[in-house]
Amino acid sequence: MNIRKMLQPQGPIRFRKRLNLHAGILRMMAVATLTVLFLITVSLSPSLAHPNPSIPAIEKKMVLVPAGPYQPFLKREINKPIQVKAFRMDQTAVTNAEYLEFVKANPEWRKSNVNPLFADKNYLAHWKGDLEIGTGRYNHPNAPVVNVSWFAARAYAKWAGKRLPTVPEWERAGNGRPENLGNKTLIAYILEWYSKPNPARLPTVKSTYLNQYGLWDMHGLVWEWTFDFNSYLNSSDSRGGTQDENQLFCAAGSLGVQNKEDYAGYLRFSYRGSLKGKYCIPNLGFRCVKDL
Amino acid sequence: MNHKFQPLLQKTAIAAAFVAVSFMTACSGGNAGSSSNDNKTFQRNWPDTTLSGDVTAELTAPPLVPKPLTYTTPKRVKVEMTVTEKVMKISDSTDYTFWTFDGTVPGSFIRVREGDLVEFTLKNSPDSKVSHNIDLHAVNGPGGGAEATNVAPGQSATFHFRALNPGLYVYHCATGPVGMHIANGMYGLILVEPAAGMPKVDHEYYIMQGDFYTKGKFEQPGLQEFDEEKAVDENPTYVLFNGRVRSTTGKNALPAKVGETVRLYVGNGGPNLSSSFHVIGEIFDRVYMEGGNIINHNVQTTMIPAGGSSIVEMQMEVPGVYNIVDHALYRAFHKGAIAQIKVTGNENPNVFEKVKNK
Repeated sequence: MNIRKMLQPQGPIRFRKRLNLHAGILRMMAVATLTVLFLITVSLSPSLAHPNPSIPAIEKKMVLVPAGPYQPFLKREINKPIQVKAFRMDQTAVTNAEYLEFVKANPEWRKSNVNPLFADKNYLAHWKGDLEIGTGRYNHPNAPVVNVSWFAARAYAKWAGKRLPTVPEWERAGNGRPENLGNKTLIAYILEWYSKPNPARLPTVKSTYLNQYGLWDMHGLVWEWTFDFNSYLNSSDSRGGTQDENQLFCAAGSLGVQNKEDYAGYLRFSYRGSLKGKYCIPNLGFRCVKDL
Repeated sequence: MNHKFQPLLQKTAIAAAFVAVSFMTACSGGNAGSSSNDNKTFQRNWPDTTLSGDVTAELTAPPLVPKPLTYTTPKRVKVEMTVTEKVMKISDSTDYTFWTFDGTVPGSFIRVREGDLVEFTLKNSPDSKVSHNIDLHAVNGPGGGAEATNVAPGQSATFHFRALNPGLYVYHCATGPVGMHIANGMYGLILVEPAAGMPKVDHEYYIMQGDFYTKGKFEQPGLQEFDEEKAVDENPTYVLFNGRVRSTTGKNALPAKVGETVRLYVGNGGPNLSSSFHVIGEIFDRVYMEGGNIINHNVQTTMIPAGGSSIVEMQMEVPGVYNIVDHALYRAFHKGAIAQIKVTGNENPNVFEKVKNK
């Protein structure tokens, strides 16, 4: 059907078809508009589009996480383990002190300047000022920085010449065997973390446990952003997950889980599923990775 | 007679329609399952898509129940609840990190009217460690609201639902792992009052049973951790009314006077156990079976499934202390499932008297 035909008077059936076609065009236009808006949004974020080329003042120790399998938590992803390539990962979460260097070098990420599209009102809410960490319960210079959005974490990683870990990378690293927990299993250790109230002060990094790769505090200190945090619960269509049998909510979701007794894994995936990129949360920080 | 959830005429109409349809389908060899659909169709014909104003729901902590509703046409009802994770006493010397709706176990009691449009906001406290949501069994819609309300710490989410079906419903957190969220105390009750209202009684109270799983033994002192293995094995350390050993006994017993009628809104959060709900020394004059429309009379023990409810009513004839129990009795005497009603007033020898020996 060409345009001219469409414009000619038609019987009722054709008319309906034409309407359908119009609806199709409108949908395409809407998708295109949204895509453009998204691209504009991303390019508006200075650090995302033009990572600051300055050499960061941060010398942070990274350790090797060797290549190996990661068994996806959700059965639907792939029933066989995913092969994760070797990568290097920050030994600890990014600290308040390290993040301060980042905002010094990148004024657009100071709390008074931040674009509200990329960080909600809780961005660095615990800090005293733009360039002042302060002394509250989350504020030890060597405590992990929290109340930072995914956009902010991603910008930091670019600035540091690194990137955020993917979920399989993070999970493979996080499943590393604990070195100093005695006989306690990792799952038991994590569940114990939930069973205790939040401490009066957020502890510093390297205060919990060390794992076989030399990574500190993968569990038991703060949650950490991953690059693709929301790719596991929401399918790519716009139905809001209603048709998605892969959810972890409610009883039906549990059918899709590999290890039904991995309550800690459940909680991590549920937590990630509740996030949005601009959220800033007092128990959510991040660490970076780098390809070899 | 007490016809609580439907005016008598409506009820008769449903029954008539039900019988007629059953008869017709039976004769035609049709699908007998259609009868329940007809009932649903009947209830969905709510004429009131218009609302007669906004109200904010009164929410109460257990064992209290919000006052009966006085409005008679559907309204937009705002309900706002906050999830907090907090250490509380599970028994006098034992602490536990409960996950709560509004800081209590069970969470706030919600009371709305059939036909209301409930605008529900769930907030998750910034201090929470994990994300939470809410599935209200009173909702017709995906996940009972769970998908719409999956909230990270410090965030909030809102959805609305039409209270189509009158009855007493459980709500609970449905974030994975669901069992653990429930085992940590995340449940409560929402009453959808029938359009005609609930008949007046002297006292209304809110009680909810739940099973708890800790590493330490029953009443072992100190802060106790959740025991995943016991939960999977359905082997609770505690079975409790209102989230604490002796929550509702002694000076906290539910008060009533001789001659008064007590109505208990009872829920069972589980996550695992069903309750053989019983009051020692009393007979339920009326039981709204499973929290729905059908009223049974003269019941000794009523079954309340996990994720289910019941409304029981009894007139208290004789003074004394009445133990509310799960009549699977090891739960009552070894795991904490006892609450009490304390009835004061004059002895009533016409009904009960201890006769001296000799």
